[in-house]
Amino acid sequence: MENKIKFILNGEEVEVLCSPVKRLLDVLRDDFNLSGAKEGCGKGECGACSVLIDGKLINSCLYPAQMAEGKEVLTIEGLKKSRIFEILSESFIDAGAVQCGFCTPGMIMASYALLRKNPNPTEEDIREGLSGNLCRCTGYNMIIEAVKMAAKRGEGLW
Amino acid sequence: MVKSYKPKRLEEALQIIKNEDCILFAGGTDLMVNRKIYFDDKNSDKKVLFLSSIEELKDISSDSNYIEIGSMTTLCSVEKNNLIPEALREAAKSMASPSIRNIATIGGNICNASPAGDTLPYLYAAQATLVLESIEGSREVYIGDFIKGPRKKDIKKHEILTKIKIPLKEYDIWEFRKVGTRKSTALSKLSFTGLAKKKDGILEDIRLSFGAVGPTVVRCRDYENKIIEIGKDIKIPEIIDMYSSIITPIDDQRSTAYYRKEVALSLLSNFLLKL
Amino acid sequence: MGRDIALSIRRDDAIAKISGEAKYTCDVKFENMLYGKTLRSKIARGKIKSIKYPSLPEGYYIVDKDDVPKPNKLKILKSDMSVFAQDVVNYVGEPIALVVGEDKEIIDNILSKIEVEYENIQPILTLEEGLNTKEPIYGDNNLFADYVVEKGDINEVKNRASYVYEGEYETGYQEQFYLETQGIIADFKDGKITIYGSMQCPYYIKNALLDFFKADSDKIRVVQLTTGGGFGGKEDYPSLIAAQAAAASIKCKRPVKIVYDRDEDIEFTTKRHPSKIKLKSYLDDNFKVIGMEADIILDGGAYASLSEVVLQRAMFAISGVYNIENLYVKGRAVATNKAISGAFRGFGAPQAFFAIEIHMEHIAKKFNLNPLDFKINNLIKRGDKSSTGGTFRDEIKLKEMIKRAEIMSSYNEKKSRFKEERKEGKLKGIGMSLFFHGGGFTGSGERDHIKAKVKLLKKIDETVEILISNVEMGQGAMTTSRKIVAYTLNIPIEKVIFENPDTDRVPDSGPTVASRTTVVVGELLREAAEELKNRWNENETLIVEADYKYPEGYEWDGDKFKGDAYTSYSFGVNVVEVEVDSITYESTIKNVYAVYDIGQAIDERIVKGQIDGGIVQGLGYAGIEVMENKEGRFLQRTSSDYIIPTSKDVPYIYSELLCEPFKYGPYGAKALGELTFVGSPPAYALSVEDALGLEISNIPVRPENILEVLRHGK
Ligand SMILES: Cc1cc2nc3c(=O)[nH]c(=O)nc-3n(C[C@H](O)[C@H](O)[C@H](O)COP(=O)(O)OP(=O)(O)OC[C@H]3O[C@@H](n4cnc5c(N)ncnc54)[C@H](O)[C@@H]3O)c2cc1C
Ligand code: FES
Ligand code: FES
Repeated sequence: MENKIKFILNGEEVEVLCSPVKRLLDVLRDDFNLSGAKEGCGKGECGACSVLIDGKLINSCLYPAQMAEGKEVLTIEGLKKSRIFEILSESFIDAGAVQCGFCTPGMIMASYALLRKNPNPTEEDIREGLSGNLCRCTGYNMIIEAVKMAAKRGEGLW
Repeated sequence: MVKSYKPKRLEEALQIIKNEDCILFAGGTDLMVNRKIYFDDKNSDKKVLFLSSIEELKDISSDSNYIEIGSMTTLCSVEKNNLIPEALREAAKSMASPSIRNIATIGGNICNASPAGDTLPYLYAAQATLVLESIEGSREVYIGDFIKGPRKKDIKKHEILTKIKIPLKEYDIWEFRKVGTRKSTALSKLSFTGLAKKKDGILEDIRLSFGAVGPTVVRCRDYENKIIEIGKDIKIPEIIDMYSSIITPIDDQRSTAYYRKEVALSLLSNFLLKL
Repeated sequence: MGRDIALSIRRDDAIAKISGEAKYTCDVKFENMLYGKTLRSKIARGKIKSIKYPSLPEGYYIVDKDDVPKPNKLKILKSDMSVFAQDVVNYVGEPIALVVGEDKEIIDNILSKIEVEYENIQPILTLEEGLNTKEPIYGDNNLFADYVVEKGDINEVKNRASYVYEGEYETGYQEQFYLETQGIIADFKDGKITIYGSMQCPYYIKNALLDFFKADSDKIRVVQLTTGGGFGGKEDYPSLIAAQAAAASIKCKRPVKIVYDRDEDIEFTTKRHPSKIKLKSYLDDNFKVIGMEADIILDGGAYASLSEVVLQRAMFAISGVYNIENLYVKGRAVATNKAISGAFRGFGAPQAFFAIEIHMEHIAKKFNLNPLDFKINNLIKRGDKSSTGGTFRDEIKLKEMIKRAEIMSSYNEKKSRFKEERKEGKLKGIGMSLFFHGGGFTGSGERDHIKAKVKLLKKIDETVEILISNVEMGQGAMTTSRKIVAYTLNIPIEKVIFENPDTDRVPDSGPTVASRTTVVVGELLREAAEELKNRWNENETLIVEADYKYPEGYEWDGDKFKGDAYTSYSFGVNVVEVEVDSITYESTIKNVYAVYDIGQAIDERIVKGQIDGGIVQGLGYAGIEVMENKEGRFLQRTSSDYIIPTSKDVPYIYSELLCEPFKYGPYGAKALGELTFVGSPPAYALSVEDALGLEISNIPVRPENILEVLRHGK
């Protein structure tokens, strides 16, 4: 039995016909052609698939489509249209936080989720906030620098 | 293809599972990792009941005797709520990553019945009981009696874990220590929980439990009573000897039996020194 | 207008990656595309007696040994590996067949129904078994390589040495864990195979496929897609996946995509070679190391892959940054029935530097010397001979670098302060490592095998396109290459174009490995740009080329391993500070300090990114990244159990550059990418050793091992 699932995707009401336990990650990538969320592990370990649901960071590889019903899902593609994205992306570039880039959309989502809750994070808060997002290239420090930079540049926005 | 239900009220959920076998789906962080085993989507007529819309399972409340935590309370809420004893909040904070804690639930951690479940040792130590409800009524069971072994638990097909009841008691000395493989998103090699209450220099109560060092959490009320009985004159090596006989870890991909046992006993000894 | 090339510029690839628009292999879809999944051996060693395939639904295919040309051998350096198991399997996970079709769940279902019947053969699982076997996996002595390097006269030294010290050192597996798993798409159309995918070396794939399919050069085309990290793991292995995908596409007449699951990638793709190294040093009465014997054994896994060259680099690095005039180095790469050991950042050097750095420290301790003084007393300097008798021609700034690192880290002050704090139960420690990395291919590889060629294409609109086969995989190659060209031509960076390589358009400038892209290919780009500058006013479109020339005055004899194994050396000093928990023996890394000589930074921010990333990978290697093999299977074979550092496992890293330019590198640049990995493992091990007051000779340093040593002295 295919379920009809309605939710708000990047500000727009959408509908998808699929199994209730289809991973949100697959729904985004296959049904909506949004490939910003990546599969790095498929097991909740790496954060490459991070998206926000009702403002909270989640791993879309562990999230069943059915549970998104009626909720607001925000992916990197949705965030992209905002001033917040501009600040985050400029900070990531200026801090040298991007190498291979496979972790990056997830890192941006995690950074945004953190700054929404805590607009003035300490370095420790940032390390904690990003701790579910693996990066094998950068050693993290330049990403942490980027989040600090974004916090400052985006004061009042979060 | 999997069929699903998403009731808004507990009553409704209990009604559904009265007649149909359903996989209860809390946060899904354990279920989804093994989704191929649980759902086998294409070829199965499995039924899933999502618990996430049942608001009444997310309450946290307390009276003079108990604090009650709804089974669908996320680890993130456990970590943040100051009605909840600090040792349990520490345990929640030590688990997985922020994003997983946003959806993983305490009920799921209990019902997953893994020897490495990090909320369990505290719940054992605090003598927590679980409220299991079915359409016929509800029953309460001590967590240590509920969990029977790795992935084995005392629950019927038509029952839902609805609440965790923790007897209210002030412990002035407490410790939760998780030894994981790394500093975040790490599963436990072992963990130790110690709770103690002293009055006028006299030990009134002590609770000691260990995670991931046996098929289920290790806790022994008899030994705890013995320690209380001996009181002031406790000899730590004797206690260590006692516990040594009930801590029986294994070698696996995360650690060695020897390390688990030695470190568990060292953490115990360290805690006893603080009394 | 002199522009400072070290000053950082914006990375052009960043914004598409941030916004999720960059297309990695997993994001690319072709019309009519099918997916392939691999059927793998369940046993470590045996003969395949029979395979029973279920009947297949319409549109689903099996591709196996019967679908590829004989002799079904893929050429990496040697041709010992089948693309699909022929009749034997040599490791758990060896590919036997592909199941290809549209729906991944149906593919899984088919896979689960295939029955393979094996006849087990006793597997070789340890180095000892591999060295003593009567049933070799490879050749007749079971060695992929067996070499000796000699310098001076070791026997003479034995007679006059005043002190002798011997030690044995071990290092473990390491998985690259690039965040993007392996992925390839093959499309066979009109008699031509096109390969798209995640890769470091487009021409390695092209050449391997030309040989495998016995095709004409114009019938195979390789196009790199945005690549999510490689670290060596996408040097050799993608050739195998490409051959499989190509065979599938030929059979199914549709594009076929293979993307690995994380756990599949962890368990079955190539890894860093585990090593066992014995060192025996001879010292005179001033504690100068006058001679050393080394015995290096690497675990090569089931097939030869790159083991011989990894072994060479390990052997040539074994005397570290020390001037040891008499050497006898024996090296062997042993075949075992485990996943293939391949390339990984550092390529044999990390194993060697771990051994020599620990060894030197232990010698000092044994004879009650200050370890750092002892090391400095033995340092190489300009004019000294390398392990292969080549000459260190350029100034070596190590002494200055050590001074800098001492000041940055308050090394001496902390050494004594931690000693006091340890008395109060705080187990703090600090360790320093000294190291180098030879730039580019070992020996005359660049001259005799790679023969790099680059092209610059000037278009009518006065933009210049870089045509090379080196890839951007996160390390910044796109930015550094463009900078070199733009700065040499003195044109705006926006005018210089770098696209992902396509072998139909770019010449073979060699693989993206061995830290060679900036030093070797960058220099060729600089030369080409110089020429283009002179011809800038010839209107029309214009192509200029540059070919690799072996620098004058250097020499290499690849049969005897004599001469200049490398033309340039980069150097480093790392300091790591830890605190060890006195109950659990978990280590927390408190601080890391690093000084490097990389000749010239082409872009400081990219350099810093390499430094931080390399150091953290090295810390993972030395600390938490554990991979053990039991009865042929890895115990840590999922992303929950094979773990890499998170943001909470590492501290801020203080780093500085102190550079001696290299005459033959672009703007003086030397190798960078791998150097940054080499130093942190020994520095970490030494800091833990300092904290605990015991000798550590193995990595990863697990709390489990520390406890064993403390309780049982072993
Ligand atoms: C990356 C990662 C890291 C993790 N780290 C940790 C860690 O550090 N420590 C740790 O302990 N765990 C960890 N886990 C495991 C998991 O997140 C926890 O066990 C979590 O608490 C499970 O809760 P859930 O709501 O997601 O459970 P679910 O997956 O929804 O359910 C788990 C099981 O319990 C049953 N169940 C759930 N709720 C009920 C109920 N109310 N009544 C009856 N049965 C029920 C389900 O049917 C299922 O069998 C980790 C998991 C991942 C993916
Ligand atoms: S893909 Fe979801 S956490 Fe790795
Ligand atoms: S930039 Fe490559 S994994 Fe983070």
